[in-house]
Amino acid sequence: MKLKSMYVVLAALLVFCLGAAVAQEMTKDQWQQEITKTTAARNELSAKAKALDNDLTSMNAQSTQLDADYQKCMDALYALVGSDASKAAAYRSDIESAENTANDLSRLSDADLVARSGDVDALAGRVKGLWENKLSLIPEFWDRLTALNDKVKSLQATLANQVKVYTVGTWAKDRDCLWNISKKKDIYDNAWLWPKIWQGNRDEIKDPDVIHKGQKLKIPKGNELNAEEKAAAKKYYAKKAEK
Amino acid sequence: MNKINRTVTARALAILFAGSVAFVGCSSSPDDAQMKQLNDLKEEVASLQKDVAAKEAQKSDLEKQIAEKNAKLKKCNDDQAIVKTRLAK
Repeated sequence: MKLKSMYVVLAALLVFCLGAAVAQEMTKDQWQQEITKTTAARNELSAKAKALDNDLTSMNAQSTQLDADYQKCMDALYALVGSDASKAAAYRSDIESAENTANDLSRLSDADLVARSGDVDALAGRVKGLWENKLSLIPEFWDRLTALNDKVKSLQATLANQVKVYTVGTWAKDRDCLWNISKKKDIYDNAWLWPKIWQGNRDEIKDPDVIHKGQKLKIPKGNELNAEEKAAAKKYYAKKAEK
Repeated sequence: MNKINRTVTARALAILFAGSVAFVGCSSSPDDAQMKQLNDLKEEVASLQKDVAAKEAQKSDLEKQIAEKNAKLKKCNDDQAIVKTRLAK
């Protein structure tokens, strides 16, 4: 009997809860509380949005003013060196072009660089010209030109360390003799230095008047005859005079 | 006796059920218009939250931009001083 009563009570409880669940909805009091709470949240957010709008307007104005101030400052900077923004843009472009050339030459093998030694000289000349422009005083350009200078010096150092080699052509086609070889712009640009080539290749050249097609002649560094070379040239001319 | 007990139990349960419904629903509830009012308000709040979030993001971006512009302007002024020094040499 007790067990049966317990089942009845449990069933009654279950039924009560079910009924309550079925009947559950917002009461007017609850609705009113929600309205009050949500209205407060709405008002707070509206005020926040308005304050943000004011901030954004002020900051946009500040940003525009900074743009104008910066433009004024840059114009004054270029004016200090007697220039303007458009000339500075052209100058910037020239520097970039020189930088690209320097980078291209830096990527060459030593042998290829020797073949393009004229380009290295030309680049050095361009950089010198860029330094002569007063725009070079502006830090942006000064720093880039300083870096360019270093690159050119590095290329020139690489070239200086290379031993140039000249492959002899024919007399008929190339008019290759020591005099003419020495006269070439990319050799000594000075025919009188031919004894340097002779003395630098004694193993290859027995008689300076006789060279052969295909001979690979080392071109010693320097732009004047040393004592040994002078002596050899003197002896050669003396012998020629005797004949 | 058992039959009477069962009938009594069933009726008691029915009364309990009805009573629970009546008990829960005895205070009045908001009408449809009022529920719409509440829902509209909630939608407005959600929309404002999005709006505020977007504006805060915009403000943060602008703060960064202004800081960068101030730095650029300072560098320009510093560069002017450097150039004047170099010109004087």
